[in-house]
Amino acid sequence: MRLLRDLVRTPEGAIGLGILAALVLVALFAPMLSAGDPLRIAGRALLPPFTDPAFPLGTDRLGRDVLAGILHGTRTSLAVGLAAALAAIAIGLCVGLTAGFAGGLVDEGLMRIVDAFQIVPSFLLALAFVSVIGASVPVVVLAIALGAWADPARLTRAQVLSIRERDYVASARVIGMHPAEIAFREILPNALPPVLALSAIIVAAAILTEAALSFLGLGDPNVVTWGSMIAEGRNILRSSPSLSIFPGIALVVTVVGVYLFSEGLTKALGGRRLEP
Amino acid sequence: MTIATLPRRTLLQAGGTLLASTALPTFALAQGAGNRLVVAADSEPKNLNPAIVASNGVFFIASKVVEPLAEASFDGKGGLAPRLATSWEGSADGKSVTFKLREGVKWHDGKPFTSADVAYSALNIWKPLQNLGRLVFANLEAVDTPDATTAVFKFSKPTPLQLIRNALPVVSSVVPKHLYEGTDIATNPANVKLVGTGPFKFTEYKPGEYYRLTKNADYWAKGEPKLDEIIFRVLPDRAGAGAALEAEEIQLAAFSAVPLTDLARISKVPGIKVTSKGYEALTYQLVVEINHRRKELADVKVRQAIAHAIDKKFVVDTIFLGYAAASTGPVPKNAPEFYDASVPTYAFDTAKANALLDEAGYKKGANGTRFSLKLRPAPYFNETKQFGDYLRQALAAVGIDAQLINADSAAHQKAVYTDHDFDLAIGPPVFRGDPAISTTILVRSGIPAGVPFSNQGGYENKELDGIIAKAAETVDTAARTELYKQFQKIVATDLPLINVAEWGFITVARDTVSNVSNNPRWAVSNWSDTALKS
Repeated sequence: MRLLRDLVRTPEGAIGLGILAALVLVALFAPMLSAGDPLRIAGRALLPPFTDPAFPLGTDRLGRDVLAGILHGTRTSLAVGLAAALAAIAIGLCVGLTAGFAGGLVDEGLMRIVDAFQIVPSFLLALAFVSVIGASVPVVVLAIALGAWADPARLTRAQVLSIRERDYVASARVIGMHPAEIAFREILPNALPPVLALSAIIVAAAILTEAALSFLGLGDPNVVTWGSMIAEGRNILRSSPSLSIFPGIALVVTVVGVYLFSEGLTKALGGRRLEP
Repeated sequence: MTIATLPRRTLLQAGGTLLASTALPTFALAQGAGNRLVVAADSEPKNLNPAIVASNGVFFIASKVVEPLAEASFDGKGGLAPRLATSWEGSADGKSVTFKLREGVKWHDGKPFTSADVAYSALNIWKPLQNLGRLVFANLEAVDTPDATTAVFKFSKPTPLQLIRNALPVVSSVVPKHLYEGTDIATNPANVKLVGTGPFKFTEYKPGEYYRLTKNADYWAKGEPKLDEIIFRVLPDRAGAGAALEAEEIQLAAFSAVPLTDLARISKVPGIKVTSKGYEALTYQLVVEINHRRKELADVKVRQAIAHAIDKKFVVDTIFLGYAAASTGPVPKNAPEFYDASVPTYAFDTAKANALLDEAGYKKGANGTRFSLKLRPAPYFNETKQFGDYLRQALAAVGIDAQLINADSAAHQKAVYTDHDFDLAIGPPVFRGDPAISTTILVRSGIPAGVPFSNQGGYENKELDGIIAKAAETVDTAARTELYKQFQKIVATDLPLINVAEWGFITVARDTVSNVSNNPRWAVSNWSDTALKS
């Protein structure tokens, strides 16, 4: 709660949190805001925006409602972004904790694997992964997580390395606590905050990666995503630019919201550490 | 000289040069170079030899250099205009065809063109190596050359003259024997640096930039070609062709290089003309391929229901923006010789589709769906992908849940034509002027797995197979045509696949280019009469 209060005190945090809360509400209530399949053909093709009250943002090449696409696209973007970030952080925490705590050969081995993943550009990795296995939401999530877990792993390991030399860890060892218990109950909670600050950046990157994959036609074609909306609008950019602009705005707002939130979170966490 | 005193035209040209300088410095000012036509090209085939690779991408460039025996024509006898052959005649038993060849024709390297070149091309390239020639000349045994201007094709089994005639423009590109004989044909340098008899000589190719063809002053048709030079400028980005036309960097974009959605806007630009003529012999068909191994789809009622669920008018008007026609069966309307309109048709009728599905025993479940299908749209055209999106919605309206699977070309072909990992697929097969070498392959049984663009849906109909086999060796034109009318009726009744629409391409040109689209294969013909007004 104190963290939340600190967060809202920073202007970045307050705006970011506001945007994210609004997006989460839209995502949760999308089926109520616009009922039915957002990909269904609802009206005349290529209605310009702001002309027909039934389709406030107009319709696309096939007559699908752009507003419905954007509302439902929020769900896909947020779901993929959050799931991918969660997966990446879970993997990263486990690997970093094991490497840092075990040390020695285990550490060396795990860190070389991390190196390998950090060398390959994460977008290329996702691209290759999806085109080999086939496009569906779980595969896209996994593909993004695969390219994003290395950073949290390194950060966790660095934290663990410094924490495990602290006195309270030494005393836990002396009283005979099981190493796993020490790792999870003593070290992990203290190593977590900086990794959490990183997590928001991973969410933003994941949302962008998902949009880029959809833009290249490697998203799940059975759900509506902002990336695929932009890609379809691109073909008629000169006659109906709004088809690409609206989902583009949605994407920008989301990513900016996540970045502001992460900025606020970093400040809030940093401020807390300075307090006596 | 200050900016204010510069003539406006110079200024515009300078601006154009500046813009184009990164892309193609030499040809930025096409209009300044006399009789030079600059054309948008979107692919650079590795092998440019049309005798080996009979495909539109190759013909687009190569047909100006290497000529066929005859070209398609709007008003010529039998739909043909003579090129290297002046007449052709089949024997009554269908086992020989005699070609009279044009006299006084010279290869670009100065050697005379003779019947020996035709015999060599037919026996050593068309029959063994060419993708389509393999089918048409499957039974070709020998080519006799009694004199320099006569070539007699001898077949071991009757081969219909109608088929050969329809295939001539595509399969009969003649290449010079003296450059190919005794070499490895597949790696011969003349496959890239073409030598032919056509109105233009192959002069230069810069990968990623352009192909340059220059006038053949010794061309056999007097007064032709009318152009001095043709530049095929490589513009892989489709959005770029429209802008280049408006800026007068190019004067012609064929094969729908300008996207359909841009046509309404660009047709209003002064000085630019849009035409859909000139592709009559290059018709693409939008087809729903069906995997008959699925028990639901093996039921003809379900296939009829799917046909009734598709609103062809929506497909033509919204997806193709009117630049297409609704199909009735496996032969397009652009092939009037074979086309039969009196086949069963399936009007858009959701209620009827629902009733047919109920009748077939697939009632709607609690969630409103009857069954699920895997739908694979081919990735080659925007329109096939959009039709995939549409079909998913059209099927949802009758309670069939279609799950779209997108893949790149290689993965799509492997999944559909080798692994049979599909329930419905959307394909754009080409109608090549004669059913024997195009549409029949999509329904005939007994084709091994892995042959692309063929019947891989497991459909088998003995009656249909019999008709196709009989037509392949029926020499009499009227009887053969009648067989193909029966073929259309059976396909339209039994629906081994569903033909939705048929379309050609669009040419966009500056109005200074004359004699555009004056034959049914114009984009892939020799352009000897095409001219530029200045």
